[in-house]
Amino acid sequence: MFKNLLLRDLRLAYYSSSNFIYIGSFFILVTILIPFVINTETEGLKSVFQGLIWVGLALALLLALDRIFSSDFDDGNLDIILRMKVSYEKIYLSKLLSVWITYCLPIVIIVPLISTAFNLTINETIFVTINLFCGSFGMAATAIGINALLMGLKRMIYLKSIIVIPLYIPFMIFGVEQGSWPVLSALSMIAVVVASFATSYGLRLYGE
Amino acid sequence: MISKIRPAIIEKADGYIPLLLSFTIITFFVGLYFSLIESPADYIQGDSMRIMYIHVPSAWFSLMIYTLIALSSVFWFILRNPLLSLAGRSLAPIGAMFTFLALITGSIWGKPTWGTWWAWDARLTSMLILFFLYLAYILLWHSISNKDNASKIAAALGIIGFINIPIIKFSVDWWNTLHQPATISKLSTPSIDVSMLIPLLIMTLAFGLFLVSLFIIRIRILSLELRINRKMIY
Repeated sequence: MFKNLLLRDLRLAYYSSSNFIYIGSFFILVTILIPFVINTETEGLKSVFQGLIWVGLALALLLALDRIFSSDFDDGNLDIILRMKVSYEKIYLSKLLSVWITYCLPIVIIVPLISTAFNLTINETIFVTINLFCGSFGMAATAIGINALLMGLKRMIYLKSIIVIPLYIPFMIFGVEQGSWPVLSALSMIAVVVASFATSYGLRLYGE
Repeated sequence: MISKIRPAIIEKADGYIPLLLSFTIITFFVGLYFSLIESPADYIQGDSMRIMYIHVPSAWFSLMIYTLIALSSVFWFILRNPLLSLAGRSLAPIGAMFTFLALITGSIWGKPTWGTWWAWDARLTSMLILFFLYLAYILLWHSISNKDNASKIAAALGIIGFINIPIIKFSVDWWNTLHQPATISKLSTPSIDVSMLIPLLIMTLAFGLFLVSLFIIRIRILSLELRINRKMIY
Protein backbone atom coordinates (compact mmCIF):
# COMPACT_ATOMS: atom_id res chain seq x y z
CA MET A 1 0.00 0.00 0.00
CA PHE A 2 2.88 2.31 0.89
CA LYS A 3 4.46 1.59 -2.50
CA ASN A 4 1.18 2.25 -4.31
CA LEU A 5 0.72 5.60 -2.57
CA LEU A 6 4.26 6.64 -3.35
CA LEU A 7 4.06 5.57 -7.00
CA ARG A 8 0.72 7.32 -7.40
CA ASP A 9 2.12 10.61 -6.10
CA LEU A 10 5.22 10.31 -8.26
CA ARG A 11 3.18 9.50 -11.38
CA LEU A 12 0.87 12.45 -10.70
CA ALA A 13 3.88 14.71 -10.31
CA TYR A 14 5.54 13.35 -13.44
CA TYR A 15 2.52 13.92 -15.67
CA SER A 16 1.67 17.35 -14.19
CA SER A 17 3.40 20.71 -13.98
CA SER A 18 5.65 19.64 -11.10
CA ASN A 19 7.72 17.47 -13.39
CA PHE A 20 11.47 17.47 -12.70
CA ILE A 21 12.06 19.47 -15.88
CA TYR A 22 9.91 22.32 -14.55
CA ILE A 23 11.52 22.28 -11.10
CA GLY A 24 15.03 22.11 -12.54
CA SER A 25 14.46 24.94 -15.01
CA PHE A 26 12.85 27.05 -12.28
CA PHE A 27 15.86 26.55 -10.01
CA ILE A 28 18.42 27.26 -12.75
CA LEU A 29 16.57 30.43 -13.71
CA VAL A 30 16.54 31.62 -10.09
CA THR A 31 20.31 31.15 -9.88
CA ILE A 32 20.82 32.81 -13.28
CA LEU A 33 19.41 35.99 -11.74
CA ILE A 34 22.57 36.39 -9.61
CA PRO A 35 24.98 37.56 -12.36
CA PHE A 36 22.46 40.23 -13.34
CA VAL A 37 22.22 41.76 -9.87
CA ILE A 38 25.83 41.42 -8.73
CA ASN A 39 29.22 42.25 -10.19
CA THR A 40 30.54 38.96 -11.62
CA GLU A 41 34.18 40.00 -11.18
CA THR A 42 34.07 39.99 -7.41
CA GLU A 43 34.42 37.23 -4.85
CA GLY A 44 30.84 37.90 -3.75
CA LEU A 45 29.44 35.74 -6.56
CA LYS A 46 30.37 32.55 -4.74
CA SER A 47 28.80 33.46 -1.39
CA VAL A 48 25.65 34.82 -3.01
CA PHE A 49 25.30 31.57 -4.96
CA GLN A 50 25.68 29.49 -1.78
CA GLY A 51 22.93 31.53 -0.16
CA LEU A 52 20.63 31.59 -3.15
CA ILE A 53 20.64 27.79 -3.45
CA TRP A 54 18.68 27.69 -0.21
CA VAL A 55 16.37 30.50 -1.26
CA GLY A 56 15.69 28.65 -4.52
CA LEU A 57 14.90 25.43 -2.68
CA ALA A 58 12.61 27.31 -0.30
CA LEU A 59 10.84 29.01 -3.22
CA ALA A 60 10.32 25.69 -5.00
CA LEU A 61 8.76 24.23 -1.83
CA LEU A 62 6.68 27.35 -1.13
CA LEU A 63 5.19 27.25 -4.62
CA ALA A 64 4.23 23.64 -3.94
CA LEU A 65 2.37 24.60 -0.75
CA ASP A 66 -0.95 24.88 -2.55
CA ARG A 67 -0.92 21.34 -3.84
CA ILE A 68 0.83 18.91 -1.46
CA PHE A 69 -2.33 17.67 0.28
CA SER A 70 -4.74 20.25 -1.10
CA SER A 71 -5.14 18.73 -4.57
CA ASP A 72 -6.05 15.34 -3.06
CA PHE A 73 -8.37 17.09 -0.63
CA ASP A 74 -10.10 19.00 -3.43
CA ASP A 75 -10.82 16.09 -5.77
CA GLY A 76 -11.82 13.71 -2.99
CA ASN A 77 -8.91 11.30 -3.32
CA LEU A 78 -7.93 12.00 0.27
CA ASP A 79 -11.22 10.57 1.53
CA ILE A 80 -10.55 7.35 -0.37
CA ILE A 81 -6.99 7.15 0.95
CA LEU A 82 -8.22 7.70 4.53
CA ARG A 83 -10.85 4.97 4.07
CA MET A 84 -8.23 2.42 3.00
CA LYS A 85 -7.18 1.82 6.64
CA VAL A 86 -3.62 2.93 5.97
CA SER A 87 -1.96 4.36 9.05
CA TYR A 88 -1.43 8.12 9.03
CA GLU A 89 2.30 7.59 9.47
CA LYS A 90 2.48 5.58 6.25
CA ILE A 91 0.60 8.29 4.36
CA TYR A 92 2.99 10.87 5.82
CA LEU A 93 6.08 8.86 4.95
CA SER A 94 4.97 8.28 1.36
CA LYS A 95 4.18 11.98 1.05
CA LEU A 96 7.58 12.93 2.47
CA LEU A 97 9.41 10.67 0.00
CA SER A 98 7.35 11.80 -2.98
CA VAL A 99 7.72 15.50 -2.14
CA TRP A 100 11.45 15.09 -1.60
CA ILE A 101 11.89 13.22 -4.89
CA THR A 102 9.73 15.69 -6.80
CA TYR A 103 10.95 19.03 -5.46
CA CYS A 104 14.32 18.48 -3.76
CA LEU A 105 16.07 15.72 -5.71
CA PRO A 106 16.24 17.73 -9.00
CA ILE A 107 17.85 20.61 -7.11
CA VAL A 108 20.32 18.34 -5.29
CA ILE A 109 21.33 16.91 -8.69
CA ILE A 110 21.54 20.28 -10.47
CA VAL A 111 23.62 22.15 -7.85
CA PRO A 112 26.90 20.23 -8.42
CA LEU A 113 26.41 20.55 -12.19
CA ILE A 114 26.12 24.35 -12.23
CA SER A 115 28.35 25.23 -9.27
CA THR A 116 31.53 25.51 -11.41
CA ALA A 117 29.89 28.40 -13.26
CA PHE A 118 29.87 30.27 -9.94
CA ASN A 119 33.59 29.74 -9.13
CA LEU A 120 33.06 27.00 -6.52
CA THR A 121 35.95 24.57 -6.03
CA ILE A 122 35.26 20.82 -6.03
CA ASN A 123 35.64 20.68 -2.25
CA GLU A 124 33.11 23.44 -1.70
CA THR A 125 30.72 21.83 -4.17
CA ILE A 126 30.79 18.57 -2.22
CA PHE A 127 30.11 20.40 1.06
CA VAL A 128 27.25 22.40 -0.42
CA THR A 129 25.64 19.30 -1.94
CA ILE A 130 25.89 17.31 1.30
CA ASN A 131 24.38 20.24 3.23
CA LEU A 132 21.57 20.49 0.74
CA PHE A 133 20.90 16.75 0.91
CA CYS A 134 20.74 16.77 4.72
CA GLY A 135 18.68 19.92 5.08
CA SER A 136 16.15 19.36 2.31
CA PHE A 137 14.41 16.48 4.13
CA GLY A 138 13.57 18.76 7.04
CA MET A 139 12.35 21.54 4.77
CA ALA A 140 10.12 19.15 2.84
CA ALA A 141 8.76 17.73 6.11
CA THR A 142 7.98 21.23 7.41
CA ALA A 143 6.07 22.09 4.24
CA ILE A 144 4.07 18.85 4.47
CA GLY A 145 3.20 19.33 8.16
CA ILE A 146 1.99 22.92 7.76
CA ASN A 147 0.10 22.01 4.61
CA ALA A 148 -1.63 19.08 6.29
CA LEU A 149 -2.84 21.44 9.02
CA LEU A 150 -4.05 24.05 6.54
CA MET A 151 -5.24 21.94 3.62
CA GLY A 152 -8.78 23.30 3.90
CA LEU A 153 -7.56 26.77 2.96
CA LYS A 154 -7.62 27.19 -0.80
CA ARG A 155 -5.49 29.79 -2.57
CA MET A 156 -3.94 30.90 0.71
CA ILE A 157 -0.34 30.46 -0.44
CA TYR A 158 0.79 33.75 1.10
CA LEU A 159 -0.59 32.85 4.52
CA LYS A 160 1.09 29.46 4.32
CA SER A 161 4.36 31.10 3.26
CA ILE A 162 4.21 33.53 6.20
CA ILE A 163 3.82 30.54 8.52
CA VAL A 164 6.47 28.36 6.85
CA ILE A 165 9.29 30.89 6.26
CA PRO A 166 10.08 31.49 9.98
CA LEU A 167 10.35 27.71 10.33
CA TYR A 168 12.90 27.64 7.48
CA ILE A 169 15.25 30.19 9.04
CA PRO A 170 17.31 27.68 11.08
CA PHE A 171 17.90 25.59 7.94
CA MET A 172 19.03 28.69 6.07
CA ILE A 173 21.42 29.79 8.81
CA PHE A 174 23.13 26.43 9.12
CA GLY A 175 22.89 25.66 5.41
CA VAL A 176 25.36 28.33 4.33
CA GLU A 177 28.03 27.17 6.80
CA GLN A 178 30.51 24.68 5.42
CA GLY A 179 30.61 21.32 7.15
CA SER A 180 27.49 21.88 9.23
CA TRP A 181 25.75 18.78 7.88
CA PRO A 182 25.52 17.08 11.32
CA VAL A 183 23.53 20.04 12.66
CA LEU A 184 21.38 20.08 9.54
CA SER A 185 20.66 16.36 9.86
CA ALA A 186 19.67 16.90 13.50
CA LEU A 187 17.33 19.72 12.50
CA SER A 188 15.89 17.53 9.74
CA MET A 189 15.23 14.70 12.18
CA ILE A 190 13.43 17.08 14.58
CA ALA A 191 11.37 18.47 11.70
CA VAL A 192 10.49 15.01 10.34
CA VAL A 193 9.28 13.83 13.75
CA VAL A 194 7.31 16.99 14.60
CA ALA A 195 5.80 17.11 11.11
CA SER A 196 4.62 13.50 11.43
CA PHE A 197 2.57 14.47 14.50
CA ALA A 198 1.27 17.60 12.76
CA THR A 199 0.34 15.64 9.63
CA SER A 200 -1.54 12.92 11.45
CA TYR A 201 -3.35 15.57 13.51
CA GLY A 202 -4.32 17.45 10.36
CA LEU A 203 -5.46 14.28 8.58
CA ARG A 204 -7.56 13.33 11.60
CA LEU A 205 -9.14 16.81 11.64
CA TYR A 206 -10.17 16.61 7.99
CA GLY A 207 -10.99 12.92 8.06
CA GLU A 208 -13.75 13.46 10.61
CA MET B 1 -17.88 22.77 21.93
CA ILE B 2 -18.75 26.45 22.09
CA SER B 3 -21.47 25.78 24.64
CA LYS B 4 -18.82 24.71 27.13
CA ILE B 5 -17.74 28.35 27.60
CA ARG B 6 -18.52 29.46 31.11
CA PRO B 7 -18.92 33.22 30.74
CA ALA B 8 -19.40 33.59 34.51
CA ILE B 9 -15.63 33.80 35.03
CA ILE B 10 -15.28 36.43 32.37
CA GLU B 11 -18.25 38.43 33.61
CA LYS B 12 -16.82 38.36 37.11
CA ALA B 13 -13.44 39.56 35.88
CA ASP B 14 -15.14 42.28 33.91
CA GLY B 15 -16.11 44.12 37.11
CA TYR B 16 -12.46 44.59 37.96
CA ILE B 17 -11.58 46.39 34.72
CA PRO B 18 -12.07 49.99 36.02
CA LEU B 19 -10.04 49.17 39.12
CA LEU B 20 -7.27 47.56 37.03
CA LEU B 21 -7.18 50.43 34.55
CA SER B 22 -6.92 53.05 37.27
CA PHE B 23 -4.15 51.06 38.96
CA THR B 24 -2.38 50.84 35.59
CA ILE B 25 -2.55 54.60 35.03
CA ILE B 26 -1.35 55.39 38.57
CA THR B 27 1.56 52.96 38.29
CA PHE B 28 2.50 54.37 34.90
CA PHE B 29 2.62 57.89 36.26
CA VAL B 30 4.64 56.86 39.31
CA GLY B 31 7.00 54.84 37.11
CA LEU B 32 7.41 57.67 34.61
CA TYR B 33 8.10 60.13 37.41
CA PHE B 34 10.79 57.87 38.85
CA SER B 35 12.31 57.00 35.49
CA LEU B 36 12.27 60.47 33.90
CA ILE B 37 12.94 62.79 36.85
CA GLU B 38 14.05 60.91 39.93
CA SER B 39 16.62 58.47 38.51
CA PRO B 40 20.09 59.66 37.47
CA ALA B 41 21.18 59.85 33.83
CA ASP B 42 23.76 57.35 32.63
CA TYR B 43 27.23 58.86 32.73
CA ILE B 44 28.17 57.54 29.29
CA GLN B 45 24.87 57.53 27.38
CA GLY B 46 23.27 60.53 29.07
CA ASP B 47 19.52 60.86 28.99
CA SER B 48 19.07 58.55 26.00
CA MET B 49 19.27 55.47 28.22
CA ARG B 50 15.96 56.40 29.84
CA ILE B 51 14.21 54.66 26.94
CA MET B 52 15.35 51.45 28.63
CA TYR B 53 12.43 51.81 31.07
CA ILE B 54 10.05 51.22 28.14
CA HIS B 55 12.27 48.92 26.11
CA VAL B 56 13.17 46.27 28.68
CA PRO B 57 9.66 45.59 30.12
CA SER B 58 8.13 45.31 26.64
CA ALA B 59 10.87 42.89 25.55
CA TRP B 60 10.32 40.77 28.69
CA PHE B 61 6.57 40.66 28.21
CA SER B 62 6.79 39.90 24.49
CA LEU B 63 8.70 36.72 25.31
CA MET B 64 6.42 35.87 28.23
CA ILE B 65 3.25 36.23 26.16
CA TYR B 66 4.47 33.77 23.54
CA THR B 67 5.20 31.29 26.33
CA LEU B 68 1.67 31.85 27.64
CA ILE B 69 0.21 31.21 24.18
CA ALA B 70 2.18 27.96 23.88
CA LEU B 71 1.09 26.90 27.39
CA SER B 72 -2.55 27.64 26.63
CA SER B 73 -2.23 25.61 23.40
CA VAL B 74 -0.78 22.64 25.29
CA PHE B 75 -3.51 22.80 27.91
CA TRP B 76 -6.10 23.21 25.19
CA PHE B 77 -5.02 19.80 23.85
CA ILE B 78 -5.43 18.28 27.32
CA LEU B 79 -8.59 19.99 28.60
CA ARG B 80 -10.31 21.06 25.35
CA ASN B 81 -11.69 24.10 27.14
CA PRO B 82 -12.56 26.79 24.56
CA LEU B 83 -11.57 29.50 27.04
CA LEU B 84 -7.95 28.43 26.52
CA SER B 85 -8.07 28.95 22.77
CA LEU B 86 -9.79 32.29 23.35
CA ALA B 87 -6.95 33.18 25.72
CA GLY B 88 -4.34 32.44 23.05
CA ARG B 89 -6.32 34.36 20.47
CA SER B 90 -6.67 37.43 22.66
CA LEU B 91 -3.04 37.36 23.83
CA ALA B 92 -1.48 37.26 20.35
CA PRO B 93 -2.11 40.88 19.24
CA ILE B 94 -0.96 42.15 22.65
CA GLY B 95 2.26 40.19 22.28
CA ALA B 96 2.77 41.45 18.74
CA MET B 97 2.29 45.00 20.03
CA PHE B 98 4.88 44.53 22.79
CA THR B 99 7.36 42.99 20.32
CA PHE B 100 6.85 45.91 17.95
CA LEU B 101 7.34 48.36 20.81
CA ALA B 102 10.55 46.63 21.87
CA LEU B 103 11.89 46.70 18.29
CA ILE B 104 10.99 50.37 17.73
CA THR B 105 12.34 51.64 21.06
CA GLY B 106 15.42 49.50 20.55
CA SER B 107 16.17 51.08 17.21
CA ILE B 108 15.50 54.60 18.57
CA TRP B 109 17.90 53.81 21.41
CA GLY B 110 20.41 52.27 19.00
CA LYS B 111 20.74 55.37 16.82
CA PRO B 112 22.54 57.59 19.38
CA THR B 113 24.43 54.79 21.16
CA TRP B 114 25.56 52.49 18.32
CA GLY B 115 25.21 55.02 15.51
CA THR B 116 22.81 52.86 13.51
CA TRP B 117 19.10 52.18 13.49
CA TRP B 118 19.44 48.47 12.90
CA ALA B 119 22.18 45.85 13.19
CA TRP B 120 21.85 42.20 12.18
CA ASP B 121 22.64 41.23 15.70
CA ALA B 122 21.50 37.92 17.21
CA ARG B 123 19.04 39.41 19.65
CA LEU B 124 17.53 41.87 17.19
CA THR B 125 17.08 39.27 14.49
CA SER B 126 15.42 36.75 16.77
CA MET B 127 13.03 39.43 18.07
CA LEU B 128 12.10 40.29 14.48
CA ILE B 129 11.35 36.63 13.77
CA LEU B 130 9.28 36.48 16.96
CA PHE B 131 7.23 39.38 15.61
CA PHE B 132 6.55 37.46 12.40
CA LEU B 133 5.58 34.34 14.35
CA TYR B 134 3.00 36.44 16.20
CA LEU B 135 1.82 37.81 12.87
CA ALA B 136 1.42 34.32 11.39
CA TYR B 137 -0.62 33.24 14.43
CA ILE B 138 -2.91 36.29 14.16
CA LEU B 139 -3.36 35.92 10.40
CA LEU B 140 -4.23 32.24 10.84
CA TRP B 141 -7.06 33.16 13.20
CA HIS B 142 -8.14 35.84 10.77
CA SER B 143 -8.30 33.70 7.65
CA ILE B 144 -10.24 30.68 8.93
CA SER B 145 -13.89 31.61 9.22
CA ASN B 146 -14.92 28.50 11.18
CA LYS B 147 -13.52 29.39 14.61
CA ASP B 148 -13.90 25.83 15.93
CA ASN B 149 -11.52 24.62 13.24
CA ALA B 150 -9.30 27.63 13.70
CA SER B 151 -8.83 26.90 17.40
CA LYS B 152 -7.74 23.35 16.58
CA ILE B 153 -5.18 24.48 14.02
CA ALA B 154 -3.96 27.51 15.95
CA ALA B 155 -3.22 25.34 19.00
CA ALA B 156 -0.94 23.14 16.88
CA LEU B 157 0.73 26.18 15.35
CA GLY B 158 1.30 27.78 18.75
CA ILE B 159 3.21 24.71 19.92
CA ILE B 160 5.23 24.39 16.69
CA GLY B 161 6.20 28.05 16.88
CA PHE B 162 7.33 27.61 20.46
CA ILE B 163 9.62 24.71 19.48
CA ASN B 164 11.06 26.96 16.81
CA ILE B 165 11.97 29.85 19.11
CA PRO B 166 14.86 28.19 21.01
CA ILE B 167 16.16 26.75 17.73
CA ILE B 168 16.14 30.21 16.14
CA LYS B 169 17.72 31.77 19.23
CA PHE B 170 20.49 29.17 19.26
CA SER B 171 21.13 29.23 15.51
CA VAL B 172 21.08 33.02 15.30
CA ASP B 173 23.57 33.25 18.16
CA TRP B 174 25.84 30.84 16.34
CA TRP B 175 25.46 32.60 13.00
CA ASN B 176 26.15 35.95 14.57
CA THR B 177 29.28 35.01 16.51
CA LEU B 178 30.80 33.69 13.31
CA HIS B 179 30.19 36.85 11.35
CA GLN B 180 30.12 40.00 13.47
CA PRO B 181 31.27 39.52 17.04
CA ALA B 182 31.92 43.20 17.83
CA THR B 183 28.48 44.61 18.49
CA ILE B 184 27.39 42.23 21.22
CA SER B 185 29.53 43.76 23.95
CA LYS B 186 27.60 47.01 23.59
CA LEU B 187 24.29 45.18 23.86
CA SER B 188 24.96 43.45 27.17
CA THR B 189 23.32 45.37 29.95
CA PRO B 190 25.68 47.01 32.42
CA SER B 191 25.34 45.80 35.99
CA ILE B 192 22.43 47.91 37.07
CA ASP B 193 22.34 50.35 39.98
CA VAL B 194 19.53 50.37 42.56
CA SER B 195 18.48 53.90 41.56
CA MET B 196 17.80 52.57 38.06
CA LEU B 197 16.43 49.19 39.13
CA ILE B 198 13.52 50.64 41.13
CA PRO B 199 11.98 52.63 38.24
CA LEU B 200 12.51 49.63 35.96
CA LEU B 201 10.60 47.38 38.36
CA ILE B 202 7.78 49.93 38.71
CA MET B 203 7.53 50.21 34.93
CA THR B 204 7.48 46.41 34.65
CA LEU B 205 4.60 46.30 37.12
CA ALA B 206 2.77 48.97 35.11
CA PHE B 207 3.26 47.00 31.88
CA GLY B 208 2.04 43.84 33.59
CA LEU B 209 -1.13 45.59 34.84
CA PHE B 210 -1.67 47.02 31.36
CA LEU B 211 -1.29 43.53 29.87
CA VAL B 212 -3.79 41.99 32.30
CA SER B 213 -6.42 44.68 31.77
CA LEU B 214 -6.07 44.53 27.97
CA PHE B 215 -6.27 40.74 28.13
CA ILE B 216 -9.50 40.79 30.14
CA ILE B 217 -11.10 43.35 27.83
CA ARG B 218 -10.14 41.41 24.71
CA ILE B 219 -11.17 37.98 25.99
CA ARG B 220 -14.53 39.40 27.02
CA ILE B 221 -15.12 40.91 23.58
CA LEU B 222 -14.14 37.65 21.87
CA SER B 223 -16.41 35.52 24.07
CA LEU B 224 -19.33 37.88 23.44
CA GLU B 225 -18.61 37.65 19.73
CA LEU B 226 -18.68 33.84 19.91
CA ARG B 227 -22.01 33.89 21.73
CA ILE B 228 -23.52 36.28 19.17
CA ASN B 229 -22.36 34.03 16.32
CA ARG B 230 -23.78 31.01 18.07
CA LYS B 231 -27.19 32.63 18.34
CA MET B 232 -27.05 33.53 14.67
CA ILE B 233 -26.20 29.98 13.59
CA TYR B 234 -28.41 27.84 15.80
